[in-house]
Amino acid sequence: MKTQNHSRLKRFFEDFYLVLVLIFLYAPIATMMVLSFNSSKSRTQWGGFTLDWYTSMFESASITTALYNTLLIAFLSAAIATLIGTLSALGISSMKKMPRTIMLGVNNIPILNSDIVTGISLMLAFLAFGISLGFKTILLAHITFNIPYVILSVMPKLKQTSKSTYEAALDLGASPIQAFFKVVFPDIMPGVLSGFLMAFTMSLDDFIITHFTRGAGINTLSTLIYSEVRRGIKPSMYALSTVIFVTVLALLLITNFSPDKQSKQMAALTPKQLQKKEKQERTRKVLLVTAAFFVIVSVCFSSYKYYLVSHSDELYVYNWGEYIDESVIEQFEEETSIHVVYDLFETNEEMYPVIEAGGVQYDAVCPSDYMIQKMAENGLLAEINFENIPNISYIGEEYLERSKSFDPQNLYSVPYSWGTVGILYNTKKLEEMGMEAPTKWSDLWDERYEGEILMQDSVRDAFMVALKALGYSMNTDDIGELQEAKDLLIAQKPLVQAYVVDQVRDKMIGGEAAIGVIYSGELLYIQEEVANLGLDYELAYVIPEEGTNIWLDSWVIPANAQNKENAEKWINFLCRPDIALKNFEYITYATPNTGAFELLDSETQNNQSVFPDISKLENCEVFQYLGEETDEVYNNLWKEIKAK
Amino acid sequence: MLQPLIDLKNISKSFDGQIVLDDLSLTVKENTFVTLLGPSGCGKTTTLRIIGGFESPDKGQVLFDGQDITQIPPNRRQLNTVFQKYALFPHMNIAENIAFGLKIKGKSKSYIQDKIAYALKLVNLDGYENRSVDSLSGGQQQRIAIARAIVNEPRLLLLDEPLGALDLKLRQDMQYELIRLKNELGITFIYVTHDQEEALTMSDTIVVMNQGYIQQMGTPEQIYNEPENAFVADFIGESNIVDGLMLHDELVEIFGAKFACVDKGFGTKQPVDVVIRPEDIDLVEPENGTLIGTVTHLIFKGVHYEMEVTTDNGFEWLVHSTDMFPVGKKVGIHVDPFDIQIMNKPASEDEEAVGVNE
Repeated sequence: MKTQNHSRLKRFFEDFYLVLVLIFLYAPIATMMVLSFNSSKSRTQWGGFTLDWYTSMFESASITTALYNTLLIAFLSAAIATLIGTLSALGISSMKKMPRTIMLGVNNIPILNSDIVTGISLMLAFLAFGISLGFKTILLAHITFNIPYVILSVMPKLKQTSKSTYEAALDLGASPIQAFFKVVFPDIMPGVLSGFLMAFTMSLDDFIITHFTRGAGINTLSTLIYSEVRRGIKPSMYALSTVIFVTVLALLLITNFSPDKQSKQMAALTPKQLQKKEKQERTRKVLLVTAAFFVIVSVCFSSYKYYLVSHSDELYVYNWGEYIDESVIEQFEEETSIHVVYDLFETNEEMYPVIEAGGVQYDAVCPSDYMIQKMAENGLLAEINFENIPNISYIGEEYLERSKSFDPQNLYSVPYSWGTVGILYNTKKLEEMGMEAPTKWSDLWDERYEGEILMQDSVRDAFMVALKALGYSMNTDDIGELQEAKDLLIAQKPLVQAYVVDQVRDKMIGGEAAIGVIYSGELLYIQEEVANLGLDYELAYVIPEEGTNIWLDSWVIPANAQNKENAEKWINFLCRPDIALKNFEYITYATPNTGAFELLDSETQNNQSVFPDISKLENCEVFQYLGEETDEVYNNLWKEIKAK
Repeated sequence: MLQPLIDLKNISKSFDGQIVLDDLSLTVKENTFVTLLGPSGCGKTTTLRIIGGFESPDKGQVLFDGQDITQIPPNRRQLNTVFQKYALFPHMNIAENIAFGLKIKGKSKSYIQDKIAYALKLVNLDGYENRSVDSLSGGQQQRIAIARAIVNEPRLLLLDEPLGALDLKLRQDMQYELIRLKNELGITFIYVTHDQEEALTMSDTIVVMNQGYIQQMGTPEQIYNEPENAFVADFIGESNIVDGLMLHDELVEIFGAKFACVDKGFGTKQPVDVVIRPEDIDLVEPENGTLIGTVTHLIFKGVHYEMEVTTDNGFEWLVHSTDMFPVGKKVGIHVDPFDIQIMNKPASEDEEAVGVNE
C-alpha cells in the first residue's frame, strides 16, 4: 500500500515536471498566439476574440511585400542550395576517405559559425566586390548558408544507396544520365527533399544574416518585425509571428515524417491501395510542378516589375517604423510616378550611423529634434529649397518657431509630428487613495504614491522629469544641477513601481499602477482602448506646471541625397492637409499641420491632452544635442541611479 | 563445336599501384557455366567487372563473339550482371524492377507485361508483381535480380557471388535453381565465388585464381582430383600436402616409407609435393599400413568421421572415414596408388602464385 502511494507520488512529480518544462518552452509562444486574437491592443487586457489582426496583416503593403520577399528568398535560396548541395554531396561521396573527411569538416564549420560572423563577413565580402546590397545579396547569403544543410542531409542517403544500383541500371542498358535520374536520384530523394525543407526553414527563420546583407527598401518578415519594435509591436505582428511559427512547425513535421516510413508501410499494402498510393504520388508531382511554375512566373513578373521601376524616378525614404499610413506612399507613387523605396529605423541612434556612413543614400529622413541638430552640426544635412514646398504654409508658425531651438534658421527641417511628455493617472485609483489629481512633476515624489509610479526607462526622459521638478533646464550641462537631479531620482526610487518604456501604456490600461510618465502620442489610443474595454475608470493626462519636453519629429534631406527634388516633392506631399490628416489618423500623434487640424472633428480638436496650445506651453523645451561629453555625464549618472 | 563467346587477351589491371590482374588470358565458350573461383582479392571480381564494362583494363583486350568491346560502356554490352547484393531498385516494385531494362530499350507495354510474367514464372515467383523490394526475403530478392537480368535476353550472364548473402539451405536450393535456369535458357554463365563447393556443384568449367593469376582451369573433377599445385589442392576441398621424394616413375617416398603411385616424368630423387585427400586415406591394422600412427582427434561429422592421425615424425594426417577408430588407437595408413597426386615444388613463392598458367 505504502509503495503504491509512493510510486503514485513519484509518477505525479514526473508528470508535473514534464508539464513544467513544456510550459517553460511553449508558454511564450502560446501567449503570443493568444494575443494575436485579442481585439484589444493591450498586452494585459482581453478585449474579445478577433481575426482583425490577421486581416490587417494581409492588408498592409509592407507586410505582404515582406512576406512575398521572405517566401521568394526562402524558396529560391532553398532550391538553388539544394541543387548545388546535392551535386556537392555527390562529389564528396565519391572522394577518397581522407579528402572526404576534410570536406565534411569544412562543410560543418559554417553551420557551427555564429550567424553574426557569417552575416558581417558576407556583407564585407559583398561590399569589397562592389556588389550593392539588396535583394540579390540576401538571396546569395541565404544560398550560402543553406548549402551546408543540404549537403548534411543528402550525404547519409548517399551513403545508404549502394553503388551497385547505379551499376545495375547501366548494366540494364541505361545511360549514365538515365541511371542517375531513374535510380540514384529517386533513392536519395528523401534526403534531397528534407535538405530542401531544412534550407527553406532556415531561410525563413533567419534574421541576423538578412539584417546585414539587405539593402535599402528590402525587408523580410524578420527584419520588418524588428524595425517595427520601436512604436510598440502592433498585434498584427503577433498574427504574423503566429503564422510564421505555424509554417515552420508544419515544415518541421513534414521533414520528420519523411517518405522513409511510408515505404515500410507500402510493403503491407494491397494492390488496390498501391494504386491509390500511386495516384497520390502523381497528384503530389502535379502539385510540385504547379508550385514550381507559380514561383517561376512570379519571379519573372517581379523582376519585370523591378525592371520597370528601376528605370523610372526613385526616392529613398528612411522613417520610423509604423510612422506613416502606407496608402500615403502608394498615393504618392501614383500621383508623381516616383518609385518609393521605403526603409525603417528604430531609434535615432540607429539611423545616424547609417546616414553618416552613406552606404545607402537616402533622400528623405525623419529624425527627432536633437538628432537634427547633431546632423546639421556634422554637415550631414542639405538645405531645403522651400520654393519647392509651397505646402509649408499649412505648418503652424508656432511649430517653425519651436524648431528654431535645433534648426535656428529653419533651413533643414519640416515638422511632421509632435507631442509632449506628461503624467497619466488613474482617476478612480486616486480617488480611492484620497488624493488630488497631480498638477506638477514634484507630485511624483509624494510618498502616498509608494509602489504606484511608473517612470520612463530612458536617460533623458528621466532626467527631464527631475530637472523640471527642480526648475532647471532639461538641456542643462551644469554638473551641479545634474547631481541634484540624480539625488532626487534616487530619492524617488522607493516609490517607483518600475522603470519601463512602452509598458506604461499597457500597465496603466490594466490598472496596475496609479500614475505614470507618458508620451502624449499614446493618448488617443489609450482613451479609445479604455472606452472599448468598458473599464470603470478613466485615465487622464496632465502637462505639469513646471513645463515639459516638447518633441518634434521633422523631415530632413541628407547632404548626400541623390534625388533631392523628389525628396522635396515628398515633403511637400506630406504637408498637404488631406495627407497629413491621413497620417494623423494612423499615427495618432499630434500634427503641426493646421490644414489637417481644421479637417478634424471638434471633439479631437478640443482634446487638450493631444492638442495643447503649443504657444501657451510655458517653460517647455525641445531636447537638444548636448555633445558627446555631456552625453557621457548623463549616462554615468543614470547608471548610478539604476545601480542603487 | 562450342564457339568462344568471351576472349580475354593479356588483361592487366592495377588499383593504386597494386597489381590485381597480371597478363591474364581466358576463353569462355558459348553455353557453358564457368566459375571463377578463388580467395578474396584474387582478382576474380575484377575480371568479371572488366567483362561487364564497369572497369577498363590497363592493358589487354576483351573480345565478345570476336568483337573488341574493351571500350564499349556497360549499357551497350550484350550481357547482364547479377550483383552480389542484388542491387534491386528500392523505390520500384518488383514488376518495375524487372521492366527497367525493357523500358529503357523502348519495348512495347504488352511485350513487357509478357516478359515480366514469364520471368517471374521462371524464378518461381509468379504473382509478386506489385510487391515492394523490402517485403521480399533475401532469396526472393536474388531471384528477382536474376529475373531482371534475363528478361533482357543477354547472351552472357555475369553473376558476382550472388548467393553469398544467403543461408546454407537457401544457397543449396538456389544452386539447383541456377543449374536449371542455365539449362532452360541456354545462355552462358560466368559465375564468381569463393565457395569451392558451389563451384564444384554448378560449373562446367572452374577457373581457380590467386593473386591475379589463373592457377588451374578444368572440369570440377579435374580440379578436385588432379590439382596442379599446392594452392589449388589446398583451396579445393581439404587435403594433406606433404613433402615427398620422387624415387623414380611411379614410386614416391613419404616420411621414409615408399608409396606406389601413377605419376611419371618427375625424374629421379626429386623433392616433390604430395597431395592426398582425407577421404582417400584408408586406416588399417598397424601391420598392414605403409605408415604407422596414433589417432589423436575424433569428431563425428554426420556422413563420416573426421580423425587426426599423428605419425612418428609428428605430422598430423587428416582422415575422413565411415569407420571409427577411437582416440589413442594405433593405426596403419594405406593409400591406393591412383589416390596419390604428385606436384612439382614451386621454386619460390612468386612461382606458386603464378602456378601453371596453361
